[in-house]
Amino acid sequence: MNGAIEAPTIEYGQLMPMLLVFGAAVVGVLIEALAPRYLRKAIHVPVTLLSLAGAFALIILQAVRDGVPEQASAMGAIAVDGPALFIWGVILVLAFISMLLINDDDQFVAQAAAVPGSPEEEDAVAQGGAHTEVYPLALFAIGGMLLFSSANDLLIMFVALEVMSLPLYLLCGLARRRRLLSQEASVKYFLLGAFSSGFFLYGMALVYGFAGTVDLGGISSALASVGGQDSLLYIGVALLGVGLFFKIGAAPFQAWKPDVYQGAPTPITALMASGTLVAAFGAVLRVFWVALGNLDWDWRPVMWAVAILTMVVGAILAITQTDIKRMLAYSSIAHAGFLLIGVIATGDAEQNSGSLSGILFYLLTYGITTVGAFAVVTMVRDAGGEAGHLSRWAGLGKRSPLLAGIFAFFLLAFAGIPLTSGFFGKYAVFAPAVSGGALGLVVVGVISSAVAAFFYVRVIVLMFFSEPAADGPTVALPSVGTAAVVTIAAAATVVLGVFPQPVLDLADQAASALFIR
Amino acid sequence: MGVLLAVLAHAVAAVAGPWVVRRCGVRGFWWLALVPAAVTVWAAVAAPGVIEGRPVVWAAGWIPEYGVSLALRMDVLGLLMVFVVAGVGALVLGYCARYFAGTPHRGLGGFAGVFVAFAGAMLGLVLADDLILLYVFWELTTVFSYLLIGFHAEERNSRRAAITAIIVTTSGGLAMLGGFVLLGAAAGTYRISAILAAPPAGGTVPVALALVLVGALSKSALVPFHFWLPGAMAAPTPVSAYLHAAAMVKAGVYLIARLSPAFADVAPWRPVVVAAGIATMVVGAWRALRRNDLKLMLAFGTVSQLGFLCVLLGYGTRAAALAGLAMTMAHAAFKAALFMVVGVIDHATGTRDLRRLSGLRRAMPATCAVAALAAASMAGLPPLIGFVGKEAAFLALTGDPVALGGVLAGSALTVAYSARFLWGAFGAKEGHAPTEVAHPPGAAFLAPAGLLAAAGLALGAGAPALNAFTAAYVGRYPPGPHDEPLALWHGLTVPLAESALVIAAGALLFRRWRSVPAFRFPLDAEHGYRVIMRGVDRAADQATRFTQRGSLPVYLRSILLALLLLPGGALVSGGPWPHDVRPWQVPAEPAVVALVCAAALAAVLQPRRLGAVVCAGVAGTGTATLYVLYGAPDLGLTQFLTETVTLVAFVLVLRRLPARFGERQVAGIRVVNALFAVAAGLVVAGVALAAVSVRTAVPESALYPQAAERAGGTNIVNIALVDLRAWDTMGESAVLLVAAVGVVGLIYGRRRPTLPRVGDATGPVWAIPGAPRIEEPEAVRDAATWLRGAETLSPERRSILFEVAARLLFHPMLVLSAYLLFSGHGSPGGGFAAGLVTGLALTMRYLAGGRYELAEALPLGPGVCQGIGLAVVAGIGLAGLAISGEVLRQAVLDARLPLLGEVHFTTSTIFDAGVYLVVVGVVLDILRAMGAELDRRVEREHEEVATA
Repeated sequence: MNGAIEAPTIEYGQLMPMLLVFGAAVVGVLIEALAPRYLRKAIHVPVTLLSLAGAFALIILQAVRDGVPEQASAMGAIAVDGPALFIWGVILVLAFISMLLINDDDQFVAQAAAVPGSPEEEDAVAQGGAHTEVYPLALFAIGGMLLFSSANDLLIMFVALEVMSLPLYLLCGLARRRRLLSQEASVKYFLLGAFSSGFFLYGMALVYGFAGTVDLGGISSALASVGGQDSLLYIGVALLGVGLFFKIGAAPFQAWKPDVYQGAPTPITALMASGTLVAAFGAVLRVFWVALGNLDWDWRPVMWAVAILTMVVGAILAITQTDIKRMLAYSSIAHAGFLLIGVIATGDAEQNSGSLSGILFYLLTYGITTVGAFAVVTMVRDAGGEAGHLSRWAGLGKRSPLLAGIFAFFLLAFAGIPLTSGFFGKYAVFAPAVSGGALGLVVVGVISSAVAAFFYVRVIVLMFFSEPAADGPTVALPSVGTAAVVTIAAAATVVLGVFPQPVLDLADQAASALFIR
Repeated sequence: MGVLLAVLAHAVAAVAGPWVVRRCGVRGFWWLALVPAAVTVWAAVAAPGVIEGRPVVWAAGWIPEYGVSLALRMDVLGLLMVFVVAGVGALVLGYCARYFAGTPHRGLGGFAGVFVAFAGAMLGLVLADDLILLYVFWELTTVFSYLLIGFHAEERNSRRAAITAIIVTTSGGLAMLGGFVLLGAAAGTYRISAILAAPPAGGTVPVALALVLVGALSKSALVPFHFWLPGAMAAPTPVSAYLHAAAMVKAGVYLIARLSPAFADVAPWRPVVVAAGIATMVVGAWRALRRNDLKLMLAFGTVSQLGFLCVLLGYGTRAAALAGLAMTMAHAAFKAALFMVVGVIDHATGTRDLRRLSGLRRAMPATCAVAALAAASMAGLPPLIGFVGKEAAFLALTGDPVALGGVLAGSALTVAYSARFLWGAFGAKEGHAPTEVAHPPGAAFLAPAGLLAAAGLALGAGAPALNAFTAAYVGRYPPGPHDEPLALWHGLTVPLAESALVIAAGALLFRRWRSVPAFRFPLDAEHGYRVIMRGVDRAADQATRFTQRGSLPVYLRSILLALLLLPGGALVSGGPWPHDVRPWQVPAEPAVVALVCAAALAAVLQPRRLGAVVCAGVAGTGTATLYVLYGAPDLGLTQFLTETVTLVAFVLVLRRLPARFGERQVAGIRVVNALFAVAAGLVVAGVALAAVSVRTAVPESALYPQAAERAGGTNIVNIALVDLRAWDTMGESAVLLVAAVGVVGLIYGRRRPTLPRVGDATGPVWAIPGAPRIEEPEAVRDAATWLRGAETLSPERRSILFEVAARLLFHPMLVLSAYLLFSGHGSPGGGFAAGLVTGLALTMRYLAGGRYELAEALPLGPGVCQGIGLAVVAGIGLAGLAISGEVLRQAVLDARLPLLGEVHFTTSTIFDAGVYLVVVGVVLDILRAMGAELDRRVEREHEEVATA
């Protein structure tokens, strides 16, 4: 029966960057199905990279030629506004350089279905098997990130959340070395992620019950018009928050991050730590600013608590870590806390656009440095694959001063030392927060930064001021892709630290009109 | 432009430094010294204008977004600091040329570059006219000093000192940045000159100043941050001479001097600065008195002097500021000279321990003279600049007994350790042979120290000239009662008497230094630092152990806790509770609910996997019963069937898993988990209850009867599936199929094998390894059986009863499923339920006859079933499109057929048939993959075990 459904109007032009990525993902699936095995990688690589670059070019074209749309697209389901375009650009840049890492051989398992240590696995390794499915999976995840950050209604947001997460769950389990750890990470991520998605869905249902719509703008106007069902709204918002906070890894939902970051193949970790975080913050901003902006007096205290807890947990727990990837994971948690400060610092329109611009800038700086840091991690290897344990990094500065120097530079950027991008990133978030009245948070942020600086410094000292172990790890000669990633990330970290104004201008422009509803 | 060039020249020299030193050897330091020397000369040339009140400025936009600019400004204070930084820098670089001569040092080029870079950063710091720019230079000095301190990096002590130094100063720096941002926000600009011209007040300013002070005090090594400086003395002596006498530690002093004119009277400023300064002065001097390492003695002396400087420059009166500037110059000159002297001694004798030095006065007379001159200035003896400064200080603090008393005490101690330094380094000690001097210092080695010591004398003599020099800075303070110009001789004044008293007391202390008790500051900050560090470490350890043990239940607990606190809290605090809650609708309900709860509890308590699965199945069945009780037989039926098929799938897989669960958690944890689970369940149930009770709109389901009627049926569940939401069903069918393919793919690892028929059987199926073989009689073996597949079974596995029952029940079950399929539109049933019934019939055949029986029951592969099913579903959708122009448009046919009578047929039944086929295919897949394939593997493994 299906009563006549009107064909929706879809602004294909505006959505083209996203559609291009999804299209390339579908093409990737076809390549898997049709192309002979030995040709697949050779076809995947250009398709993937060109689609990401093309999508980025389309964004620029859109921004330059048509300006920023003032209406939500696709019947109000997707908002391609200034922040969305900026976040898309950031995600695509990060995805592109992460993809260069993913290209690297020797990161992914030869045959995921073979039991670790079994003869099947040996056969697969001997035959040089490789899962080229990684490419379309990653593209789906990236497409999901784009959609997640620009979804203008909760339903689309949930779909995007799943499109983004499901491939990542799978990709996490595909590490070539230490496969059990990788599989455990995948299962943990999946189970906890499924839980949090469930909460998100439940919250969405309750908010729908309150507002009668899942449209973010509609929810915002319902806040003013609907009365008497407040607790339904509060419960719904709390559940939505659980789902979103899980994705950004805010405490107390941070526990998965270290385990998953450690277990996942490092290129995937890089993609998650950069792209997913950016996308998730896009979604957090939309839900809490667009839909619940008028409810800020109610969510702000909770958000304060979450932000403080996140910063403190991230900074303190990082100290005892002995694994480089786990340490970076905690650092990512702490950075999520710093970003939350920006989310909290709302006020009038000018204040909001200041905070938003700060967050956008921070996301870019943090994302690029993160990918660079993980790229360095992939290069320091010993017999068992990557040398994850920190003690193995002792004296790296003596063996390969350049690499250790670059890594130290990334760490200083994480710590927010001046003349690195991290400094202006932190500044960009903290300064509007001060003027927005979140002084207490900034104080906690600064203290956490100091604690965080402590463990970054410890790693630097370890690398430069210790004698290298006799059987220390070797620094793998990087592939062109990895070398490019490290170079790009280091260059961006320097340039954004010394001459940030052009990018700040861009973030400002993107943030000036705030989100469309 | 000059100010910019001064900083840039250092940057260029820093980059070129390694190359220069590599090329020219240690003489390269001379070339490098030219850069700060040139800057000093430039400053001297620019000085007259600056003193007249025309500061040298240069500014360019940097990040207009935040109002941050590259602004440099050299006013009087800046000029003075340039003299200190660049002048002493040039001398120390010259000194390096000798200090490093003769001994090969690895990485000396890098050292030279970093040293010059440090000098440049320091210069930028004192010239910066923008708070953020100042912070940038501030952190740069931290980073460079770190590299310099860690130059002898291999030693463990060196490493620890470097870490301590950078942690303390970086943390302080971050606090200071916070203060700067607050200050800038309050003032609306980061331009320092603008802030000082119109200081903001009230609001956040006191907080900002407190944070800035934390940064300044930590950088200048004041109590309570003083412990990092002596620890950092592992650095080469030139580094100590520069960083810890003239440059880095002066940064904090400089900052205090810079901000005092505007903020000395704001709440926390003066008390904090004076208290910390006095405490530092006394503690530092006291500890200096007890050191035996000359360099450490100077280090503690530096700590002490820095405290003194902070008191003066932060005091906020004209007289104190004047005294402070004089002392700043004095300190830079004598302390750098003394450090260099220590380096000379170290070089000449190979030791810095005063217990091993004796009689150097005779062996190194020139050195001794230089040291004596510098130490005299340190002790505040006339006619040196140290004396002038101290006199002025005593005068300035008159009327403030606390500050004056502290400064007097500190000065007396200073006199004592100055004397002890001289005696320790050069004096002849009883019972000690004169120390052997291996390399007597050349003139060039001693010259820098000599120049600085002489500068102390010249400045003392020319003290009146300093009044004009400092006027522009000092004039920013309000005039006070003690404003007297600097001079060597003021007449017989109280400060003169105080000076005499200090010198006398100092001399006495020096004589009796052994009886000075080893002083332990009750709040030993270094101890505090270690306690904090250890505490943070331990806290991190504990927190990691507590929250991050990699255990999924633990992670889940923290997520559930948030669920309980946030939505649970919202629910409890204001949940709209329904007014009329009836405990049950049907009397049988409580019994069923009790059964479900008991089954759930039992599932948790089961030690065996199989038992847990069965219990979970019972809980599911109970839920299905509830559906039936509530008048939804269709849902109930579907749920019953699903539970059954799931149970079968579970059992098939569980064969490959250990029978019992692995490690059980300890009882306490299980209780906690149980509490969490129950609480989470209650919250979710409560939320559901609350959500239902606030309904204001008419339920969608009110429209269902109409919708069903329009669709030509009466069973709304089925109509919703195949008609109202046919699109969904189609998608779900596809998803189900994909999931099945995925599971199958995981088990086979490749394509499904071809359908095995009875003829393919290779050996007895399900044989129990080790069981006695039962030989069947010949006649029995050839006789017809109830199920053909059963012939392949191992005899001990056969059950005649089961075979007969399966044979008899199979076809009735198929008929039942056909009935369910066709009746679905009007009464309970439908394609899904029908498919499950067929699946169960197949399951029965498999269980009774083994894996070869499957193909006998249904000679179709699961792929065929699924494919045809999905094709039918899609086809009916397309047919709707072709016929009525709308996808999935259904049609109703009513006809009278012979034999069957009145027939009511809707095309949605065909759609349902497609669903049926998909479901059958999925069940078949489960049976073949989890059943037959696992059977095959189990048998193969047994064979391998048997043959091996």
